[in-house]
Amino acid sequence: MFRYLYIFCLFTAAHVIGASPDYKTDIQPLFQKYCYDCHGANKQKGKVRLDNLPTNLLKDNRATETWHDALDVLNKGEMPPEDESQPTAAERATLTHWLQQQFDAMIAAKRSTAGRGVIRRLNREEYQNTMRDLLGIDMNYVAKLPPESLSPDGFRNNGASLGMSGLQLEYMLESARNALKQVIMTGEAPEKYRFQTKESSNDKNKGYFTNRLGRVGTFVGKITDFPDEGPFIIRVKARAELPSPGAVWPRMQLRFGYRADTQTPSEILGAIDIDSEESKIYEFRGRMEAFPLQTRTQSKYPGQLVWITNVYDNGKPAPKQQFKTVEVEVDAPGKKGTRKQKKKVVVPDPEYAHIIVESFEFDGPIFDQWPPKPHRDILFDSPLRSQNEDRYVYEVLDRFMSRAYRRPVKESEVSLMHQFYQKVYRQHGKLEDAIRDTLAMVLISPDFLFLVEPGGKSKRLLTDYERASRLSYFLWSSMPDQELFNLAAKGALQQPETLKKEVRRMLADPRANAFIEQFSTQWFDLDGVDRVAINPNYYPDFDLSLKSDMRNETIAFFGEVLKKNLSARCFIDADFAMLNEPLARHYGLSGPRTRNFERVTLEPGSHRGGVVSQGSILLSNSTGEDSHPIKRAVWILERLLHDPPSPPPPDVPALDSDNADISKLPILEQLEAHRENESCANCHKGIDPWGITLEQFDAVGRIRTEIKRQTAGKNKYVTHPVIATAKLPGGHSVEGLNGLKDYLLQHKELPFAHALANKLLSYATGRSMEIVDEPAIKNLATEALEHDLRLRDFIEAIVVSEPFLTK
Amino acid sequence: MKNASWHFNRRTFLRGTGVSLALPLLECMGAPPANTKRAKRFCGIYFPYGIVSRKPGEEQSEWNWFPDKAGSDYILHKSHTALEPLRDQFTMIGGLSHPAGRTMGGHDTADIWLTGAKLKGNRLQNQMSIDQLMAQQIGDLTRYRSLVISTDGGVGEPTRSSTLSFGRGGQPIPALNKPQQIFDRLFGVAPGSMLDQRRQLENSGSMIDLILEHSKSMRGKLGKQDQQKFDEYLSSVRQIEQSVERSQAWLDIPKPNVEATGLTLEADDSTPETLIQTMYDLILLAFQTDSTRVATYQLGNMNGATSIAGKFPSLLGLGKNMHGLAHGARKGPGGEQLGKWQQFLNTQFARFLTRLQETSDGEGTLLDSTVVLYGSSNHHTHQNLNYPLLLAGGERLGFRHGHYVNYDNKVPMANLLTTAFNKLDVQCNGFADSTGDLPELLI
Repeated sequence: MFRYLYIFCLFTAAHVIGASPDYKTDIQPLFQKYCYDCHGANKQKGKVRLDNLPTNLLKDNRATETWHDALDVLNKGEMPPEDESQPTAAERATLTHWLQQQFDAMIAAKRSTAGRGVIRRLNREEYQNTMRDLLGIDMNYVAKLPPESLSPDGFRNNGASLGMSGLQLEYMLESARNALKQVIMTGEAPEKYRFQTKESSNDKNKGYFTNRLGRVGTFVGKITDFPDEGPFIIRVKARAELPSPGAVWPRMQLRFGYRADTQTPSEILGAIDIDSEESKIYEFRGRMEAFPLQTRTQSKYPGQLVWITNVYDNGKPAPKQQFKTVEVEVDAPGKKGTRKQKKKVVVPDPEYAHIIVESFEFDGPIFDQWPPKPHRDILFDSPLRSQNEDRYVYEVLDRFMSRAYRRPVKESEVSLMHQFYQKVYRQHGKLEDAIRDTLAMVLISPDFLFLVEPGGKSKRLLTDYERASRLSYFLWSSMPDQELFNLAAKGALQQPETLKKEVRRMLADPRANAFIEQFSTQWFDLDGVDRVAINPNYYPDFDLSLKSDMRNETIAFFGEVLKKNLSARCFIDADFAMLNEPLARHYGLSGPRTRNFERVTLEPGSHRGGVVSQGSILLSNSTGEDSHPIKRAVWILERLLHDPPSPPPPDVPALDSDNADISKLPILEQLEAHRENESCANCHKGIDPWGITLEQFDAVGRIRTEIKRQTAGKNKYVTHPVIATAKLPGGHSVEGLNGLKDYLLQHKELPFAHALANKLLSYATGRSMEIVDEPAIKNLATEALEHDLRLRDFIEAIVVSEPFLTK
Repeated sequence: MKNASWHFNRRTFLRGTGVSLALPLLECMGAPPANTKRAKRFCGIYFPYGIVSRKPGEEQSEWNWFPDKAGSDYILHKSHTALEPLRDQFTMIGGLSHPAGRTMGGHDTADIWLTGAKLKGNRLQNQMSIDQLMAQQIGDLTRYRSLVISTDGGVGEPTRSSTLSFGRGGQPIPALNKPQQIFDRLFGVAPGSMLDQRRQLENSGSMIDLILEHSKSMRGKLGKQDQQKFDEYLSSVRQIEQSVERSQAWLDIPKPNVEATGLTLEADDSTPETLIQTMYDLILLAFQTDSTRVATYQLGNMNGATSIAGKFPSLLGLGKNMHGLAHGARKGPGGEQLGKWQQFLNTQFARFLTRLQETSDGEGTLLDSTVVLYGSSNHHTHQNLNYPLLLAGGERLGFRHGHYVNYDNKVPMANLLTTAFNKLDVQCNGFADSTGDLPELLI
């Protein structure tokens, strides 16, 4: 029995700081000392007896209940009763930790799928991309779908965590129907609209409607006639006017659409850097139905509106006066001559980069042919249509369904849909209408919405088509393309070399951006930037748009390492960073002149190489005022070493920052005070030091030389020196970020490789890794280290590993 | 004036408070349909992490949630001043909790606030929440059975759910979290002619029949664990089946014509005050137009690690996130800090109650026929006892208000739920671990 438990202790060892205690030698004596008098062989107060209570929680449900109660009362300090001798805090912690471990192990074992995963629904991203690739139209398919749940290990594509509800399915059906209206066309090609102007539309007395866009100023286009649906294109001819040569380029943003009766606000169509002082044409594309449209019946009908502004921010405060009122002479209607009128104009601001709009053009709807390609891909040209329409429809369904189900479909499956088609067709008598409804049904059937891998009694290898889908959802978050389908049809995906070759091909495809974005966001928890509110009293200059720049920096960095097949050690330390202009400025670096991310070589000893010191990580794990060393530590342990500390037991006091005396202390001393509390010390001495190494960075990720803390009153601060020296578990003393990086690279390479293998496999298979996967993970990690941890090679190894290829 | 019976005056919703409260709010321009008379409604509103609770007389105890003494002559503390004018419309309730929740993790109990279930161990299986029990029994009288809202949206994770509502078998119901989407769902006009819509619904009906048939045969080919997961899909299909039937039944009755003027439908988590006010306004509109009679609103969940609502207090200049405020509340200046957050929440809540009170339901005020339950499942953070609860409205249904009752941690919260829902004509005896009614709350 105890050997059984021991195995599970091993399994949870990753979740607990320190070695696992042994029941006989470490645990039972404590229960004996403090509990058995009342809950032992002689007395069973409250009918509770602990001395002979089985410790195998998996097999004994009643024992589980009792142990759980024991954990509760120990945690709350309710037992032993006040008048009995009390365990020391360390002893109490030993007991609660041990109990917690048993419960974690039991839960993990009960939830285990023995490494086989659970049927997995397409998540939001996957649904969006799959619909786009299947239907051939890029539109927003997920606007109304609820946010996805996160798995315990932080992923959004975990089959066990992805639920399904009526509301979700209802919106998926709606989304499919809306899309099919744009795909399957009837009738003649729609009328095309074209609108051109050289001048911004003007409003009396509004000086900011202009062609010259600076800190203020808006170019307004009023498109008098426009379509309600379909793709459109807007071309803006513009040039930049820089305050000095080499200055940062301005950025043009377009907002499109407005609906007056419902006051539906406009939406951003796009933004682009104006990177030339010569006139150039900048293109923006969208689909009409994605934007609020004016209703033509309203009384004051202004047409469809476009607002063009300059969203460049040079980080300097705006001049006090941005407008002034001047008198201009205007024609006086009905009278001879002119009269004077007051007009608001923009005060010139020569220090600011301007955009000069020279012309504006709208075209829509744009179709390459009629009916458009997405329509013809489904309702393909064939003589069969006129010869035998019913047979033609069957063919149409067969083709569409094998793509939608990502495998060849059986006759019975097509017949089911065909039967429905015929029913609808009989009622309404129009092929296109009936096809739309039938395809909508395909798009809510489980074979489309789930990655179905029929199970047997034991683990099995995946079929070719299942492999094609695993690959495409891993690297593209979307359906397989024709080439993958072809390989599957040939049986070629059974060969490891083909799988590896496909990885290289697929990663070179733009669709691989889905992997770069999704995996790095989930692995590094980049959503964190939106959970922290930055306190403007501490950071008055912090521009909120930096949050998305920070997120994109980390994504771009991951992308660079992957595309260049660099070593994953870059995530710990690198001699380059991926920066754009605002972020470089924020970090006190220079180089980039636009909002696009580019590779910037770092000086030796720079503080910006690697992921840990990127703004996204530092800000997410801050309080919005100051660093949060514990959160930063947990991030390192969980994300880079896959060794997260157990969550604090219920009812532990938080860091006592509200105690007036303590809150004046620098964070380091607060943490020390915290660790003086024995019950906290046990865990926190293994956690805090990791985060302390990052004390050189403030809440928004900038290097600091002193720590500011607000005391009473709005503008009263005390400062403390930065101390970033910490003694890591095991006694290694490290100094600051660079010390941390050296330590990780020298001593934690294997755990890091192990963590990366675990995260990649969890994401690739859509399930949490379990004890049965340990050998595969270990192999992958060891092998990857032999290959310098090169990231693309790592992924090639993943797709030929046992967990990836089995169900 | 348009001849639709549900037209709202453009001026009815004015941004902000103060001025607009003096105006006749939300006067419907026509008479409400007959069936809204005698309609009874429920709204449950939840906030996470607990409240200020210091010993009376202790420093900063003026920010305590609970009054110092029970009875009808109690004094509301500082964070409740916005509620003072509504004093006769609500009861402060102390000393209740779900017994099942007392042994659950400190942050695990938002899930069971309206269910009373025990979520522990391996399966984490919730039960149907009482609002959904009501929706099941009276939901067919309205276009929507219920309106489920939260700040985070979706369902979240078990023990950290971002919804208060759980359907049959304890399956979480995803909460909506975008005002525009909620508005469109309630009042948006479906595209296409009536004929098209009818046709589409008919097709949906036969579509669902076929899908169900096909799915059942597919289920047999799946492994056991897959089957359990797949059942969620099957029950989702059955849910749409019902919703199609409902839509067919409601097709000939036009949706209420409500203008969005004055609603900030683009509000999001970067502007907490506007967002919360807009959500409350949407619930009010849903009730007023009798689009539904059941609503739940989770202001924040207890997932400190991922909730986007956690930062609300910092955005309002209160210095910390929600979790941090609750943690600090027992020490130093922490009482006042959390107290100010309570004050903010209560101010929004008071505004909502006031609007319910100023809106007619054809017979009296909307508030008098609506039971509003407001509160949390934490006392201090991590402590699943002595929930802060406030029961408002429903005077016409037989509730007696204007006092503070304390049950001293001896009574299950399910008793409050059954007392309230019995008055809402919901068959709920024996719900969760209820042991009887709470007569003190009734006339």
